[in-house]
Amino acid sequence: MKRILVGILILLLLSSCASATDYYPEYTGEPVTLTMWAWTSNENYSIEEFEKVYPNIKVIWEDFGVHYDKAQTALAAGSGLPDVLMIEYSFAPQFMDLGAFQPINKWLDEETFVKLYGEASLGLCSMDGEIYGTPQDSGANALFYRKDIFDKYGLKVPTTWDEYAEQARKLKAAAPDLEFAAPPIGYALVWVGMIWGAGGKLFDYHDGNWYIDFTNPIAEEFFEFWGELFDEGILDLQMWWNPDWYSSLNEGKTATVIVGSWFGEWLRYNAPESAGQWRVAVPPFIRKGEEHNGMIGGSGFYVTSHCKNPEAAAIFVNWLNSHPDSLRCLHRYSNLPIMVSTRYEEILDEIAGPDEFFGGQNIVEELWHAHELVNTTFVALPIWSNMDSALSLLLQDYVDGKIQRFADILPVWEKQVIETMEEFGYTNLIVGELP
Amino acid sequence: MTSVTKKKLMTTLKAYLFLAPFLALFILMVIYPIGLGAKLSLYGQRGARMWYVGFDNYFRIFQDKKFWEAFKIPAFLLFVQVPLMLLLATIVSLMFETRKRSGSVFRFIYYLPYCIPGIVAGIVWSYIFSDSMSPLKPLLQFFGYQGEKLLTRPNVPLILLIIILWEFTGYTAFVIYSSLISIPREYSEAAQLDGAGFWQIAFKIKIPLLKDVLITLFIFNAIGAIQVFNEPWMLGGLVVLPNNYTPAMYIYSSAFSQGRFTYAAAMGMILACVTFVFSLWVLRTAAKQLLGSKS
Repeated sequence: MKRILVGILILLLLSSCASATDYYPEYTGEPVTLTMWAWTSNENYSIEEFEKVYPNIKVIWEDFGVHYDKAQTALAAGSGLPDVLMIEYSFAPQFMDLGAFQPINKWLDEETFVKLYGEASLGLCSMDGEIYGTPQDSGANALFYRKDIFDKYGLKVPTTWDEYAEQARKLKAAAPDLEFAAPPIGYALVWVGMIWGAGGKLFDYHDGNWYIDFTNPIAEEFFEFWGELFDEGILDLQMWWNPDWYSSLNEGKTATVIVGSWFGEWLRYNAPESAGQWRVAVPPFIRKGEEHNGMIGGSGFYVTSHCKNPEAAAIFVNWLNSHPDSLRCLHRYSNLPIMVSTRYEEILDEIAGPDEFFGGQNIVEELWHAHELVNTTFVALPIWSNMDSALSLLLQDYVDGKIQRFADILPVWEKQVIETMEEFGYTNLIVGELP
Repeated sequence: MTSVTKKKLMTTLKAYLFLAPFLALFILMVIYPIGLGAKLSLYGQRGARMWYVGFDNYFRIFQDKKFWEAFKIPAFLLFVQVPLMLLLATIVSLMFETRKRSGSVFRFIYYLPYCIPGIVAGIVWSYIFSDSMSPLKPLLQFFGYQGEKLLTRPNVPLILLIIILWEFTGYTAFVIYSSLISIPREYSEAAQLDGAGFWQIAFKIKIPLLKDVLITLFIFNAIGAIQVFNEPWMLGGLVVLPNNYTPAMYIYSSAFSQGRFTYAAAMGMILACVTFVFSLWVLRTAAKQLLGSKS
């Protein structure tokens, strides 16, 4: 009897311990030094905070910019990956599938993950029930627009795609030299992300099968919508991330950009001359009342298969991306507007406020709203780079006049993606439907 | 007798001693990677997993249209840019020769572009042809050309031609000039006495004597053309180019952005063979011609 009582007591103690240590278990292992590759600016402030709490875990942060080529090489070589790797959500499945990551479910189970990062993030960091990392910043779609151009030509911030097209036509008529928007030639993230925002998707992974359906009604409606604007010459496509594009943003030749929330950080550093002119808004909805959103980019921090101490790495990636002390640093020093963790809400009131670069607008509040509207998720195809270059070529063909109708791109793109999947040995394809 | 062989042995040893730094690096950075590449090309690979497949990669490459289509740009450069550049460089070098005193200044200026790394040149040239910053645009508009884009996909071969000519013509002229001044002056003096003009001397006497160096330069530049990478890679930031725009670009993107290292290694071996066979063919036929002209 006594033994049973003691047993119950111990059990009670243990269970209360589990809830007391909450999300961040103590690290009892040997002192360890972890390495991490990440391109977020000023990540070191969070690391300093982390090392104060976990003195036995040291983190060495290296920044090689976007390091996918380097990571692919290390992966193929069988050694050389750091313990923790920053990867964009859309590229993560490619790396998961190649065996670049190891599961951390032992230290971060699904229940805790959902509590800390929300259900929708599971699709970004896990596959087949295994969790490989934690999400950092949100790529929630946002409409970045130039207040000066909007004021000058009497434009209204569009809340639906119909209103968006209306404003685009209005600006074209009033100022043919300006672009209302210049969506990217290529950069599949934006196209997939906007379809996601409209409540759709092109592919997914479920129960061991890859689903591909590029010609579903939402995707087609969406491409028809853009096609109309391009075919009529209201909007032009432009190649992004090059000097031409930078100067068009800096000089106010482009009135709006729809892209991920992280673009707030990017604009601040790369278009300094446009300070004070930009504002942000929740992107247009496909129809009134259908209020949801998708993501364009955003990155997670994953524990790699070359990591010798996954426990320490798991503790680190979880703390880094969910602990308020770290989130505060990421916002303050790295200028990331929105973090994915649900605990970001705890510091929201403290950090939200007028932002000078955005003319005093409280962008955190607006973007947080955009982020909260992301309520669906899916797994990206494991051949993102190939899918991306296939789309780039098709869009360039359209610009060069080799493809007449914009919406004709979808079926050709799908065909090429399926061919690549087959070429890479994926036999578990289900085409023409989505789970 | 033994002392002679000993002496010979010592000379050989000494020679190798002097060669050692080069040989060590050559083996480490050239021979070993080629061997490793050849071995890798016999494997299939996905992520860190590798398995032996024999010559499967090579069979697949022979059916890979994208790889063979990539040779269009090298072919264009080989048959247009390289001959054009050799012609220009020869003319420039003849000009160098006429300016004995101020020539060094011109040689310096012409040589400068070669000192700029291809990647940097690519970035600067892509600005020059870009839509928003091009200094050429106002100039073209002055001559009545209306605002079309300069940097479009159909224009890229022409732009490559301009960039590569700019980069290497001066250097090539420099090399030609150095063998031009080694031609004994008696030849041209004799011709002059017989009443030959400047261009006659140039084309009838000097250029035939330059044949050897011209062939060598042709081969070097042909190798450069077949393996062209930097310039189209940089332009790829401003206009969408297929990842198989040149063989080297296709190999690079197969390996690093698609993670198909062993397949890329096999393509690298084939590209090396193509280059080698082509150089050999040029040398052979050129050698025959040379022998023919001597007899």
